[in-house]
Amino acid sequence: MNLPRLRLDPLTRKKLQRFRSIRRGYVSFLILATAVVLSLAAELLVNSRALVVRHEGQWHFPTYGRIHTGKEFGLDYAYEVNYRELQRKFAAEPVGKNWVLLPPVPYNPLENCHPGETFRPRPPDWARQNFLGTDQINRDILARLVYGFRNALAFAAAFLLLTYAVGISLGCLMGYFGGWFDLLVQRLIEIWSNIPFLFVVIIVASIVPAGIGMNLGVLLAIVVLFSWTGMTYYMRSATYREKARDYVHAAQVLGASTPRILFRHILPNVLSTIVTFIPFTIASSISALTALDFLGFGLPPPTPSWGELLRQGTSNLQSPWIVASAFSALVLVLVLVTFIGEAIREAFDPKKFTLYQ
Amino acid sequence: MRPPFRSLPLLAAALLLTAGCGPSAPKDGAAPATGTAAAPAAPEMEADLKRTLAAEPDFYVFKPLAELPAGLAWQDGAALPEFADPNARKGGTFSYYIPDFPRTLRTIGPDATGGIRPYLLDYVEPPFIAPHPNVAGGAYAGLVASWAVGPDGKTIYYRIDPRARWSDGRPLTTDDVIFTLYFMRSPHLNEPWYNDYYKKYYRQLIVYDRLTFATVHPERKPDLAVRFGNWVPYPRHAYADFGPGWIERFQWRETPKLGAYELKAKDIDKGRAVTLSRVKDWWAADKRFFRGRYNPDRYRLEVIRDPDKAVEAFARGDLDLMPLNLPKYWYETLPETHPEVAAGRILRYKFFNRTPRPDWGLWINRAKAPLDNRDVRVGLQHASNIALVCAQFFRGDAEQMQTRSDGYGWRMHPTITARPFDPVAARAAFARAGYTTQGEDGVLRNAAGQRLSFTITAYGQAQRDLLPVLKQEALKAGLEFKLEILDTTTGWKKIQEKNHEIALAALSRSVELYPRYWEMYHGTNAYADAYTKDGQPSKVATGATPNPQPREVVVQTNNMTMTFLPELDRLIEAYDRAETLDEIKRLAAEIEQLIHDDAAWVNGWQRPFLRGAAWRHVRWPAGFNVAQARDLEEFFVHWIEPELQKETAEARRSGRTFPGGLRTFDQFKGN
Repeated sequence: MNLPRLRLDPLTRKKLQRFRSIRRGYVSFLILATAVVLSLAAELLVNSRALVVRHEGQWHFPTYGRIHTGKEFGLDYAYEVNYRELQRKFAAEPVGKNWVLLPPVPYNPLENCHPGETFRPRPPDWARQNFLGTDQINRDILARLVYGFRNALAFAAAFLLLTYAVGISLGCLMGYFGGWFDLLVQRLIEIWSNIPFLFVVIIVASIVPAGIGMNLGVLLAIVVLFSWTGMTYYMRSATYREKARDYVHAAQVLGASTPRILFRHILPNVLSTIVTFIPFTIASSISALTALDFLGFGLPPPTPSWGELLRQGTSNLQSPWIVASAFSALVLVLVLVTFIGEAIREAFDPKKFTLYQ
Repeated sequence: MRPPFRSLPLLAAALLLTAGCGPSAPKDGAAPATGTAAAPAAPEMEADLKRTLAAEPDFYVFKPLAELPAGLAWQDGAALPEFADPNARKGGTFSYYIPDFPRTLRTIGPDATGGIRPYLLDYVEPPFIAPHPNVAGGAYAGLVASWAVGPDGKTIYYRIDPRARWSDGRPLTTDDVIFTLYFMRSPHLNEPWYNDYYKKYYRQLIVYDRLTFATVHPERKPDLAVRFGNWVPYPRHAYADFGPGWIERFQWRETPKLGAYELKAKDIDKGRAVTLSRVKDWWAADKRFFRGRYNPDRYRLEVIRDPDKAVEAFARGDLDLMPLNLPKYWYETLPETHPEVAAGRILRYKFFNRTPRPDWGLWINRAKAPLDNRDVRVGLQHASNIALVCAQFFRGDAEQMQTRSDGYGWRMHPTITARPFDPVAARAAFARAGYTTQGEDGVLRNAAGQRLSFTITAYGQAQRDLLPVLKQEALKAGLEFKLEILDTTTGWKKIQEKNHEIALAALSRSVELYPRYWEMYHGTNAYADAYTKDGQPSKVATGATPNPQPREVVVQTNNMTMTFLPELDRLIEAYDRAETLDEIKRLAAEIEQLIHDDAAWVNGWQRPFLRGAAWRHVRWPAGFNVAQARDLEEFFVHWIEPELQKETAEARRSGRTFPGGLRTFDQFKGN
């Protein structure tokens, strides 16, 4: 609701220009944005399903949607066709009418890339298109990194939305109402934030009822439950400050409702606080998910995840490509996010842009 | 993995007697063991023991030696071959590791089944009569000088070895035997399993004199002496204050031992390591079947929680021995090409043992629809690619079990084989159960639209990498596996409470002459209301009426498939009553056939050998180890050559090499 107007706001435009002028942060932003966009289209780039199959004069686009069985392409099995095998089969046919176009990395993150061979980590092999090697059960590391990245991003985005929704609302309310409400909620938050988060995750992870299972949603709920508190403090103090300003009083005099004052008048003015926190929240949520997966309390196998790769890597140090891939990817993303965060903080620095210069 | 039947009768406390233990107390007058060195005992235990003896005159029976039946065939197993090397060198310090610091020095009661217990009890303390580890059905004298089985086939007569001494110098007498049975049957013990076992299977104790006694058991058994004579006594004089609250009092107490090693308080480095020391002038050091064993003077057990780190510590030379059963360690961490291995300073061993191994497999809960449908279960067997797991995950080191009783040698069913992985056969079986249409995700559905999807519950992290392989393969049969990997305690609890759909689990199995079925397959271990007799619930199937719709699930039993088949129950009861090996074998074959037909257990894998590596100064007997070894050190037949130890240390500095290579011992290969 506020976004269109914000974009027109000259002050914001100025901030964005300033952000763009900070090269390091801006380039990081572009790289990360590209990575995010690419990961959203991961099925087209890293997938065992073909992009296009031309078979008996028919076009097939199997990437999304239902599975195609082997029988549909003249093979003798009723389960999903192995497109790499199909490609070899078509290539061997004398009449070259049928063909398969595979993605650049023709593996999905769950499958055994080398059927019929022992399960052990294999070093990068460009001929077999395992660009980063395989893990200990022959799964392609690049595929697991890409899909793991997407999971981590989805987790971070949902985490961000939920923690900020709770944290901002409660923080604003505390700051706006003050008094006993503020006192009470502050004390509750103090108690709540003293519960050791990791222990709770471990306990909950082991007692999640059957049927639900440990999945992204449950994990998210637990992590959010213990992470929203941080934001309330900043929002509370920011709202306290804004509340005393004339425009708030004016709005009150005009008869605006509390939610309207909070979300349409105060919130846009404290937005710069929030924006500077976003990159760091994303970084911390990715690290949290990775740490939980590393410890074995995260997503259930065989979900691709970076923490799981790190765990495998550290227990297979004689296969350094596993830990190297996961570690580099993690460091890279966290560094990019941090650069962006720094740039945003600088661009949104109220000392440079304030209404009361 | 939690043992289902703890290593049965091997229960001895290996706690040391703290210096100047209890106050001196009057000797117990009820026992006829006159002349026993006055046991210093607090009145608490002795008074209760006295009351118990008076209250149970039918159990604790005292007779004069003259009433010992004449003409008993006393035996001591001396005709059997020894399995250790009598020329083994004594001395040195052996370094090894335990995965966790002991939480107690008790060998019974809460927390007592940790990684230290083998060294305090199972591997070290000699039982009265010990099964011979190389001769199935054979036995040798442990704490006894000789034993005999009575003509009724239910009574074992024991003559305690007069040399047998506790590590504090006191002799082992029937006083200790009386105390041990009182202890095991006491409600203060806080161990219902032991209470139950010693009440159910020990019907009478007859004491003749200080060194002679007999135990009476409920049934004739072909292997009576090893089955029930394989138990370990506890020192009466060290348990004077046994009674309510003993668990806490004995948590860290040293008690005297009969075995070759004791753990002294000064040798406990809290949180870091414990060091066992060999008992000085151990009474059995020259006894047949004990000489040449328990050789190192000191046995240092360092706490290393992460197995990866333990292997590294071994390769560095901090530990002397390392089991390398996992393919990862054998092929990647310490391969032939590892510098120390290639130089012959570390030797690798592969030893084919012959023993019942943990029965890994998928336990299908028949109580959860649609798993009550046999066709679905047969489909599951065909859809689980255990062969691939064996060949490629375990790299050919494991083999699929064919029956429930693999490892029991001639007791196995001769012809049954596991249903092979076969997506076509699996789909056919699922189709018979109504799962005929394949959804867009490749998973089969029935007419009601239900997906063919089940959750596999596993415990511990060990299966984390294996289960995705099964999941991936099952999709070929149109079956979806969801994976749930819980921590060990939670996962095991869930399975024992029968809340799983499919469990990836294993029970460790005792080394016994023939397998057990009652725990895993009897209907009363699935449903409390399985049978009624004269209108009352019955624990026995024979002569009772089976309940067609039982509801009351029994939790905390090993019937993890929730099997309730009246015909099977009757067979199992007959099997448990069987008195001859021929009958046991015949009934076992029928039981195996029924289990196979019912298809509620997907045959898992077993590893037919032990393997590991040791520094070259660790020496072994000519045949390396014993057939029934479940662990390289279980029978303590190894020793250290101090000269070689020096030479190896020297060689590591100078780079000198020795003849190396893999040493394989396959004299016990095959079931």
